Amino acid sequence: MITLESIWTLLQAGFIQRAFIISIIIAILCSVLSIFIVLKRVSLIGDGLAHTAFGGLALGYFIQGIFVAFFSQYVPWLIAGVIVVLGSIGITKAMRSTKISGDAAVAVFLQLGLAIGITLLSLTRVGIRIESLLFGSILLVSFEQILVALVIAVITISIILLFFKELVYVTFDETQARASGIRTWFYDYLISVLAGIVVIVSIPIVGVLLISALLVLPALTSIQFTKSFRQTVILSPIVGLATVVLGVLFSVVFDVAPGGMIVLTGLAIFAVVLLAKRIQESAKK
Amino acid sequence: MQPKPLVELQDVSVRYANGVLALDRITLDVNQKDLLALLGPNGAGKSTLLKVILGLVKPTSGIIKLFGSTDLAKNLKSVGYVPQSAQARDTNLPFSVFETVLLGRTRHAGLLHRMGTHDRKKVEEVLKMFGLYELKDRKIGQLSGGQTQRVFLAKAMVSEPKLLLLDEPTSGVDPASKHDFYGILERLNKESDIAVILSSHDISAITKLATRVLCINRSQFFCGLNEDFSATAELPKVYDHPVEVLEHDHP
Ligand SMILES: Nc1ncnc2c1ncn2[C@@H]1O[C@H](COP(=O)(O)OP(=O)(O)OP(=O)(O)O)[C@@H](O)[C@H]1O
Ligand SMILES: [Mg+2]
Repeated sequence: MITLESIWTLLQAGFIQRAFIISIIIAILCSVLSIFIVLKRVSLIGDGLAHTAFGGLALGYFIQGIFVAFFSQYVPWLIAGVIVVLGSIGITKAMRSTKISGDAAVAVFLQLGLAIGITLLSLTRVGIRIESLLFGSILLVSFEQILVALVIAVITISIILLFFKELVYVTFDETQARASGIRTWFYDYLISVLAGIVVIVSIPIVGVLLISALLVLPALTSIQFTKSFRQTVILSPIVGLATVVLGVLFSVVFDVAPGGMIVLTGLAIFAVVLLAKRIQESAKK
Repeated sequence: MQPKPLVELQDVSVRYANGVLALDRITLDVNQKDLLALLGPNGAGKSTLLKVILGLVKPTSGIIKLFGSTDLAKNLKSVGYVPQSAQARDTNLPFSVFETVLLGRTRHAGLLHRMGTHDRKKVEEVLKMFGLYELKDRKIGQLSGGQTQRVFLAKAMVSEPKLLLLDEPTSGVDPASKHDFYGILERLNKESDIAVILSSHDISAITKLATRVLCINRSQFFCGLNEDFSATAELPKVYDHPVEVLEHDHP
């Protein structure tokens, strides 16, 4: 067991502080998006996109492995970013088609991304730690990564605010939004592309396997209690923040992997909320 | 000059992807001040007809004009629509009654603009008119069927429409509320000059209210003034079954 004092010293270390800062940025970003993702019932899209991103990253590293000399370390991420955006457009196109069900569309992209990823990584000459892609390496976050995440967060949230009322309408009911003349297809793609961008920024931190939890849990937890959209918009980021801050803290205290701890914390909060709701409801009867 | 019809349909047919011919060469004009009753049995294509006017379903052939233009999306801002059995997708959907009605103002605020106090005032006004003000902070998924229907009508009204499309708005509504509802509708139509297209199985009530009647069963059986419409003569043809229209006066 670590003593309180040593935890305090740890918390003052630069890398831990950077871990907190980046998790806060990502938490707010994911929480806001999660509202639209959960209410539009496309909760699995984060998973589909994360695995597409994995495939994209593997492709990036594979290409880098061939032309090592020309490429900086950021190129694989740029390649992955392009692949994810294309993937998010593809997933949305498949989901909007009436011929395939939404969950099947996501499953296909997920498997494709994972299969390509694993295959290419096994061929790649650059040494990559697969675990850091799958589970993230929040404790190795650099100042540049924080900057990139911050810029992406500001841009993404601004775009959401710009189209807020249309996004809200589409989230409420796609058919009625369409009947009022709103071009709903645009907002479907918008949410999905933004989710793709958030995924690619978040993977180095929480990893492929855990990002989709952050894109679902904050809203899912919040709507158990909220009576209005407004309350949801306020509560969801609070839940997201609590999740990552406590998650990182617990991971330091118990000296376990932060990615897993963050998601476990989120799930624990969700469980507590469900339980509280159950108790509240039975008290009313 | 004769004012342009609000809705024009010329030989509109709709065949769904599964091969069902839902509408067969429907021709129709809806003018200002019209209150058109849309009658027909289940599966006759009533909902499809409303959807095709809204651009939700593409016609297989024929021409549709809304406010004189074939660009439907452009003018939908002035059309209020209440879908058949309108309700929240999910009882947990976190939208208050107020927020649901406010959605009806979305197109009025303009792209990239936020909704302002004017929009909120308008919502409060309409909520009061429909007797929903006390419910404004309730969650939409937790209202009764009749209350929900009123919320969706309020949402359609708050957009200050020139045309209202209502798909069986009184199904599942108790007789007293139905009577209130028809009262509101008549006022909107007569006093606020809102044209209404209303599909319903509530034949005796709406043929009292309507100025015009359209009877369809895929194809068009009757289209004309209410005065010229004789339920006993026309309906058995459409319904393919003897139809008894009960005459009863509302209290
Ligand atoms: N999305 C769809 N795809 C395929 N067929 C459809 C679709 N929607 C409706 N139909 C078919 O088109 C026909 C007309 O349906 P519609 O819903 O317009 O009837 P309706 O007059 O509104 O009936 P009801 O009184 O039951 O509401 C029906 O045979 C129906 O099965
Ligand atoms: Mg119908």
